[in-house]
Amino acid sequence: MPVAASAIYFLNLRGDVLINRLYRDDVGGNMVDAFRVHIMQTKELGTCPVRQIGGCSFFYMRISNVYIVIVVSSNANVACAFKFVVEAVALFKSYFGGAFDEDAIRNNFVLIYELLDEIMDFGYPQNLSPEILKLYITQEGVRSPFSSKPTDKPVPNATLQVTGAVGWRREGLVYKKNEVFLDIVESVNLLMSSKGSVLRCDVTGKVLMKCFLSGMPDLKLGLNDKIGLEKESQLKSRPAKSGKTIELDDVTFHQCVNLTRFNSEKTVSFVPPDGEFELMKYRITEGVNLPFRVLPTIKELGRTRMEVNVKVKSVFGAKMFALGVVIKIPVPKQTAKTSFQVTSGRAKYNASIDCLVWKIRKFPGQTEPTLSAEVELISTIAEKKSWTRPPIQMEFQVPMFTASGLRVRFLKVWEKSGYNTVEWVRYITKAGSYEIRC
Amino acid sequence: MKGEVSDVKSQLRQLAGSRAPGTDDSKRDLFKKVLSYMTVGIDVSSVFSDMVMCSATSDIVLKKMCYLYVGNYAKYNPDLALLTINFLQRDCKDEDPMIRGLALRSLCTLRVPNLVEYLVGPLGSGLKDKSGYVRMVASIGVVKLYHISASTCVDADFPAMLKHLMLHDQDAQVVANCLFSLQEIWTLEANTSEEASSEREALLSKPVIYYFLNRIKDFNEWAQCIILEMVSKYVPPDSNEIFDIMNLLEDRLQHANGAIVLATIKLFLQLTLDMTDVHQQVYERIKAPLLTQVSLGSPEQSFAVLSHLHLLVMRAPMLFSTAYKHFYCHYNEPFYVKKLKLEMLTAVANESNTYEIVTELCEYAANVDIPMARESIRAVGKIALQQYDVNAIVDRLLQFLEMEKDHVTAETLVLVKDLLRKYPQWSHDCIAVVGNISSKNIQEPKAKAALIWMLGEYAQDMQDAPYVLESLVEKWEDECSAEVRLHLLTSVMKCFFRRPPETQQVLRAVLAAGIADFHQDVHDRALFYYRLLQHNVSVAEGVVNPPKQAVSVFADTQSSEIKDRIFDEFNSLSVVYKKPSYMFTDKEYRGPFAFSEEFGNMSIGVESEETAASSQRVEASDKELLLNTSEKEDKVLSNNGPAYSAPAYDGYLDTAASQVQSDLVSLEPPLPSHPPKTSSGIDLLSLGLSIKPTPAPTAPTLKLNAKPVLDPNTFQQKWRQLQVSVSQEISISPQGVAALANLQSLLRHMQGHSIQCIASGGQSPNYKFFFFAQKSEESSLFLVECIINSLTCKAQLKIKADDESSSQAFSTVFQSALSSYGTS
Repeated sequence: MPVAASAIYFLNLRGDVLINRLYRDDVGGNMVDAFRVHIMQTKELGTCPVRQIGGCSFFYMRISNVYIVIVVSSNANVACAFKFVVEAVALFKSYFGGAFDEDAIRNNFVLIYELLDEIMDFGYPQNLSPEILKLYITQEGVRSPFSSKPTDKPVPNATLQVTGAVGWRREGLVYKKNEVFLDIVESVNLLMSSKGSVLRCDVTGKVLMKCFLSGMPDLKLGLNDKIGLEKESQLKSRPAKSGKTIELDDVTFHQCVNLTRFNSEKTVSFVPPDGEFELMKYRITEGVNLPFRVLPTIKELGRTRMEVNVKVKSVFGAKMFALGVVIKIPVPKQTAKTSFQVTSGRAKYNASIDCLVWKIRKFPGQTEPTLSAEVELISTIAEKKSWTRPPIQMEFQVPMFTASGLRVRFLKVWEKSGYNTVEWVRYITKAGSYEIRC
Repeated sequence: MKGEVSDVKSQLRQLAGSRAPGTDDSKRDLFKKVLSYMTVGIDVSSVFSDMVMCSATSDIVLKKMCYLYVGNYAKYNPDLALLTINFLQRDCKDEDPMIRGLALRSLCTLRVPNLVEYLVGPLGSGLKDKSGYVRMVASIGVVKLYHISASTCVDADFPAMLKHLMLHDQDAQVVANCLFSLQEIWTLEANTSEEASSEREALLSKPVIYYFLNRIKDFNEWAQCIILEMVSKYVPPDSNEIFDIMNLLEDRLQHANGAIVLATIKLFLQLTLDMTDVHQQVYERIKAPLLTQVSLGSPEQSFAVLSHLHLLVMRAPMLFSTAYKHFYCHYNEPFYVKKLKLEMLTAVANESNTYEIVTELCEYAANVDIPMARESIRAVGKIALQQYDVNAIVDRLLQFLEMEKDHVTAETLVLVKDLLRKYPQWSHDCIAVVGNISSKNIQEPKAKAALIWMLGEYAQDMQDAPYVLESLVEKWEDECSAEVRLHLLTSVMKCFFRRPPETQQVLRAVLAAGIADFHQDVHDRALFYYRLLQHNVSVAEGVVNPPKQAVSVFADTQSSEIKDRIFDEFNSLSVVYKKPSYMFTDKEYRGPFAFSEEFGNMSIGVESEETAASSQRVEASDKELLLNTSEKEDKVLSNNGPAYSAPAYDGYLDTAASQVQSDLVSLEPPLPSHPPKTSSGIDLLSLGLSIKPTPAPTAPTLKLNAKPVLDPNTFQQKWRQLQVSVSQEISISPQGVAALANLQSLLRHMQGHSIQCIASGGQSPNYKFFFFAQKSEESSLFLVECIINSLTCKAQLKIKADDESSSQAFSTVFQSALSSYGTS
């Protein structure tokens, strides 16, 4: 039976129960003790998110300073359980308005109990869509629309709304100003060898949307992806426009997207939920534009000195700039003294992570600042083992730049009342795991 | 704390009757307080009646909090729960569908068996309610009732009502919940009722399956998972239908929910199992979605998906060999993700990508994270063992030895040893490097054992082999690993055959130390060698150091049958644990005493033991794969032909070497028929030992008490305290397995042999029993855990005994009793 959970616990880092909900009787009430004894208080913690203790399996996940633990006794569906936790946390966040941590849970525990009752019944996930749950959840002043209404009128059937053609959207929304915000957020993962060759590089992107639209609008999104464009030119029997096209390795969509239409016509068409949601995710491995090149030279001069030279080159357009650039250059544990020269930004030695941290707040395109540092090491007698060089890691954000080259070609909004909409599109590229071996 | 609770109690009393404005708000605050006490584990059941009194309100917020409270305490206070029935039943008829639903849900979660009669009515009307919300609650409520009292549920004809609802309701969530409930009820009921099992079959009939498939997009993502899971059990009659289903569901592979993607993949793979070509295409098709799922989401989610990807990669490594770069590890990934990736990198390595993969693995080997470094080295070794062109890899491995890090050296030594067993032609290069390693730097038993094995095996090539061995033998007393001591014995023997003059001293010392060893195996082996040498040196050489063939394939650790079972359970925990579900969900595996009241504690207690055992098992299988030691040559697959050339017993007699050896040890080959008495008088190896003639190993007839007494608690306690003294697997006759259907007869049969059963359980194919027996005239007890698998006709025994010396004898008695079952 593919049950997702028999019980769910929220624990703080000390192992105190913040919230618990037993859905089925097949796990004992003391299971959380087993988790504490066999996982939290041992080295096991963090070695594997799925563990078997007794007849029960524990799935756990740490989110800020909270452990969320799911206990099952049957052969459960793991992927489903983890997805459920992630979605539930997103849901809680949308209710608390922001952070999900121990304090937020303590302050909102009645609400969480209420939510836990609705989103899962007897171990089967039910409805996690915030829109629909608003109808049931009574806390924080959101009163049930049922309670005040006389019942001789046929009540709108909440569950039917969930499961009908547009379950994720309520009818009758009205906005004065109809706006759509579209964010394309990409994170670049890079692994570069010390010789400068790219070992592995890919981009995972998300299209995030915030909709403030009245009624039941139909949206259509056009991107410059290769398949979509080819299909379009086929349909319109017009030669494809030249220009950069992107080959998406794989795409996943929010449940609102009509997948049948995507498969036949390769267009992304949908009736959006109200508010903020993640429209699609994609993955690209070919033709990635790396925003930065890093050229490190690290020389170990004898046993007590090191010379570090790092050149970082921004390869995006000169008019653009990157924000919050942080370059972490690892140095050995026994570093005693460091001195720097940087052409831009600031650098310091952070002993707790054994890194030289070089920060550049604003990093224009087509520039190449350098850092040169001298590192003095404490000479240790026992330490004859050579230092294993961890990779240089980089963080950054580049607005208005996509590493994949993806562009929004159009976003069409169609609603029967025919109102005008304002569309906003933003692009941003962030560093995922951007590693350069040295 | 007590004070605060009573404080709350009196405040609740005051508010109960009050109708003043603002009462509800103060009640809310109070209720919240009660719930917060409840959450932190303070017992607030004493305010039960006051809470119930206060909940006579129309305020839904208050009602909800009250329901939560009641649901938590009713189970342990059945009398108090009766108090709530009244108002819950009233609420089930409220005009607000929300309240009806909530009340019904609370009613079903009271879980008090003697209150089920009050449940039937509200549930019945709930299923017919005009609000979808109430029906949704009721349809899950039915299965809750079933778990409290199956007969009430079936007698009220709820399953049939659910079935009707499932096939006709407008609301998709109601339909989905009906399906969940019915699947559970019919699966459980199928064991006892034929009707239920045919109903369960009917769920998989074409009309029902198509009914769900055609509506699949109406359901939310969670329900879709379960529906896809159900469809994967459906067997379409022809291939057109298979293609129709796949075309219909192909877009599910694009879904953002990884669980749906996995469920779809499972369905596709199951559908095409018999269509080899299409099955291959399915693999191609699912590659991209799977890789996407891996790269998205939290590490835990990736782990869940990766485990499945891992399974597929292991089944069809060829198909994933071009995607190897996806399995490169990020520096910051958690170890559990990296480990899976390493295993996949190992599996997909082939002629075209080995160079890149091994280069990448070498980077990890320099990693500061020690477990990661170890795994990477093992991965390199495994690749070397599965490749034909190992030239470059051997160089890499040898470079590891030069890194001079203890854990790297240790891991590499083990690998070099395995490599030499497969590719003896590399011995020259390897030995040159291995010879430079100081044995002082190696602490780990496995590595030490590997080094010692090489010292023995290549004694003629390593200049100082006898002397290194000598220094190791000198530290015999400090050596705590029996494995190392065993290897030391064997290696010194091998060394002795090749370089007798230099090794003679060491041999003497090692045999003396071995015979005096407290470890049974070490002692026995030493004695065995000693007697062999006494008997005939060349025969001894034929036994201890026969010429061997290179190993061509190391045995697989998991049977293909088990692998297939795991594959059948795709998209579940089995894949993550890499074992079929019965091994971790069946009741008998969950701790032996289902009837024990302290079940919870017990299962934990037993678990710590079981985890220990399982980790040993893992280690053992690991050992089998990688650490095959010289004594385990029988692991070599039989297609190599016999690995040993049969020792020719007298053929060697007149060779010069054996002459020299005989002289050196001043050995007069005693006749085999010599009584042990004389040989001990001669003191052949001048060991200064007196070996007492061991008593003839005639099994002492063990008499068992026909009517032993033991209560379950004592059994439990003893089981926890005692060590396993015998653990083995035996076969049972098919007749015996057939007769297992009647468990009682087995228990009577065992009783006839003075072996009593204290607990039994399980379902086909796995049965688990706990037996005990007592020695007659003594109080010493034997405890047995016996797991019988009726498919494989195997029984696994674990015997624990007060008096370990007689446990072997008891084991024999037990086995003969068990194997005679069904034959009489």
